[in-house]
Amino acid sequence: MTAARLRTWLLRAWVALVFGFLMLPVVVIALASFSRTSYLTVPPKGLTLRWFGAVLADPEYVHAIVWSVLLALVATVGSLGAGVAASFALIRRRVAGGAAVAAFLNAPLVFPGVVVGVALLQFYALVRMNGTFVGLALAHMVITVPYVVRAVTASLQGTDPELEHAARVLGASGPVAFFTVTLPLIRPGVAAGALFSFIVSFDNVPVSIFLLGAGQMTLPVKIFTAIEYGVDPSIAAISTMLIVLTGVGLAVAERWIGFHRFV
Amino acid sequence: MRAGHGWWLLAPALLLLLAAFVLPVGLMVPTSVRPYVPLVGITGGFTARHYVRLLTDSYYLEIIGRTLALGLTVTCSTLGVGYPVAFFLARTRSRWRNWLTILVVFPLMLNLVVRTFGWIALLAQNGLVNQALQALGLVDGPVKLLFNFAGLLIGLTHIFLPFMVLVLIGAIQNIPRDVEDAARVLGASWGSAFLRVTLPLSAPGILSGSILVFVLSISALVTPRLLGGPTYQVMSTLIYDEFLQRLNWPAGSAQSLLLTVMVLLLIYLSGRLARRTGAHA
Amino acid sequence: MSGAAPALAVRRLRKAFGAVVAVDDVSLDAAPGEFLSLLGPSGCGKSTLLRMVAGLVEPDGGEIVLAGEDITRVAVHRRNLGLVFQSYALFPHMTVFENVAFGLRRRSVPPAELGPRVERMLELVRLGPLGTRHPRELSGGQQQRVALARALVTEPRVLLLDEPLSNLDALLREEMRVELKRLQERLGTTMIFVTHDQAEALILSDRVVVMEHGRVEQVGRPEEVYRRPATAFVARFLGRANFLAGTVAESRGTGTVVAVDGGRLSVVAGPRPGLTAGQPVHAVIRQEAIRLAAPGAAAGRPNHFTATVVFHAFAGQAHHYVVQLADGRELEIAAPGSTVPLARGAHTRIEWSPEDVILLPGGGPGQGASR
Repeated sequence: MTAARLRTWLLRAWVALVFGFLMLPVVVIALASFSRTSYLTVPPKGLTLRWFGAVLADPEYVHAIVWSVLLALVATVGSLGAGVAASFALIRRRVAGGAAVAAFLNAPLVFPGVVVGVALLQFYALVRMNGTFVGLALAHMVITVPYVVRAVTASLQGTDPELEHAARVLGASGPVAFFTVTLPLIRPGVAAGALFSFIVSFDNVPVSIFLLGAGQMTLPVKIFTAIEYGVDPSIAAISTMLIVLTGVGLAVAERWIGFHRFV
Repeated sequence: MRAGHGWWLLAPALLLLLAAFVLPVGLMVPTSVRPYVPLVGITGGFTARHYVRLLTDSYYLEIIGRTLALGLTVTCSTLGVGYPVAFFLARTRSRWRNWLTILVVFPLMLNLVVRTFGWIALLAQNGLVNQALQALGLVDGPVKLLFNFAGLLIGLTHIFLPFMVLVLIGAIQNIPRDVEDAARVLGASWGSAFLRVTLPLSAPGILSGSILVFVLSISALVTPRLLGGPTYQVMSTLIYDEFLQRLNWPAGSAQSLLLTVMVLLLIYLSGRLARRTGAHA
Repeated sequence: MSGAAPALAVRRLRKAFGAVVAVDDVSLDAAPGEFLSLLGPSGCGKSTLLRMVAGLVEPDGGEIVLAGEDITRVAVHRRNLGLVFQSYALFPHMTVFENVAFGLRRRSVPPAELGPRVERMLELVRLGPLGTRHPRELSGGQQQRVALARALVTEPRVLLLDEPLSNLDALLREEMRVELKRLQERLGTTMIFVTHDQAEALILSDRVVVMEHGRVEQVGRPEEVYRRPATAFVARFLGRANFLAGTVAESRGTGTVVAVDGGRLSVVAGPRPGLTAGQPVHAVIRQEAIRLAAPGAAAGRPNHFTATVVFHAFAGQAHHYVVQLADGRELEIAAPGSTVPLARGAHTRIEWSPEDVILLPGGGPGQGASR
């Protein structure tokens, strides 16, 4: 075998190994969720769906799921509004210090989530917003806006600015031109941003865990605290459901908008 | 067109970040210098005690050191493991290329808690890894892979590997193919061309990816908490306990600010380095 | 032109981008139904001027008046002008029909009227059956016609065209020029056409505005700017020519004699009352104005010289020669393609009529052919 062929095969083998490594925990959880035993074991002993049933019947889990979805939706809508407007301003309008503003909008991406969480914990206590849904939603918007900005910016940069000009000369005012011409063309970016935003908000722990008030619970925080107290297959069951949902969502996103362009 | 419009459109996002991000973080500064009396709360006056303890007490220094060491090792491992994968995905002409990229992204989209939970199952005393190692006869008894550095290293590598791979793919794709071909035609072996041409040209990507993973690693909360347990601490879990367990907000604020300063410093330095090497992160 | 108010007038229009002055105090008129070209090299300000008229660029100073109404401060979408972009700027996510209908929808044209109007316009640009296609399915020429249809269907008072033909290949360009002219004559729309191609400007326009460095060098009918260029720049830009620098030897009622620098050459031109003896001047003779004289022609005629052929190329419609005169000077000649070609080294005689000599006052270098 020539050196080139050997290299190719070694590379492929390595890539396969790494993908295996990446998928390993996912597979393990999925398998564990079917186990008949009341403790976590892999490979599973026996097969059952009872853990899935237990989770879906548990009011606390259902409550947490509903809250997470609601929060993620509100945060996504909010950050879409703010993010699309901001991207548009940065790419299509000349703004003084645009690069600095763009960097600032990106900041929450690399900022330690735990610091955001505790800062807002203290701040909300100060302004008596602690434990409010609004406070939680705003906190989530802070961490999701950068994703929207990045995705929409990528889309905007790929479209011709002259199209907006053409619309305006043809008689469309600024907002009309945006909604009839620009927005349809950046739909993939907006959709990708919305998807990122929803997932980041839904999955978040570091910010949520400090801000949840009495009677509030999000799904990842519930799973997190549940693990701290001991693991059983119901956790695996809810985890598997999340895995499947995410996988399906991602596949659909790839099919519809070519999601790989936005990562 | 008219520049005025730009600011109106930026206002919601800017206001959001200023009011719910910059301001709260800024307010931690005065809090961090207030004294705290257990069971009483925050009292008046100012003190630098929290910072002093943080930077001199061996307990805290150990945590800080562990956090940084973790950051460094995770960065190196994601780089080593991920570069070949990124190279493959950037250069392959396979029609599965997009789906493979999505496959790399998939773990990222997956709930962090779920992923880490999987590692608990894998790394436990009787978990799959230990079972496999013993079955293969590589070890005599179970190896401790949870609640220690090794566990955190493995877990965090898994979590942040996709980040590194994605950044590297972007960087490698930007290297024009014919540059490598030119080197080969001029007589360089594959290895030589790689070391002298491809690798240096992907340096900007290596830098951005490394900074990203390093910063994310030292900020991580969920994975270190679940894989390290309540006693094996890193900075984020320390802050978590300080706020929710010991209720010592001033000390927690000081710790948070230290972490923040470390992150900002790193980003600033990487920006300087990037400009020096002509990259942009 | 006629006494009617201009369809479009710009007065003292100015625009600078930082330190660069793109449009420098330009004033222009376009008569109703006129085809006016803005001609000049890249960077001369013609596109900026056009975009200011459209409202896409805000002028630093000056006014834009549309049929007597000052529109300088009117928003883009209310000016009711048409603009054909160089890149066409067709909406990729809409069909051809929807693209063309866009302007009508903005004007709330009722559906009963909108459909037929769009169809008629598509027929006019010969795209009738293509209404349901998307822009990416069309050829460059077809996309161009959609852009035209889209801009014209709203019956704008003035149609602005920003180098609309430059992305087409040569043959298609010529076809589209004919189409454009045909449309203009059919619809009577005032058109302002930006181009850097002088042949195009000459073919299409009623008047040509030659621009350079943000300023208007000359405005006039095509024959005027070609035969009687006001400046050396216009002379050079409108077509290849031979520039001979010299001084006026005599200025009489019957003609002007120019003594060419550095030689024993005299050029005879038509009478020019404004010139005085001793004044430095350029004698400019276009390539096609120089004829290869028949062998037996009298040698005493004005502007008649012996020459040797040093270069020959055949370009279909013309033979391009470079000939060398007795004193070593070289001139470029374009002879009709139907004449018998002369080989390199051949001796011949050349001459040109005094009326074909363009005199441009002012000294400076200019020996030999332009560019």
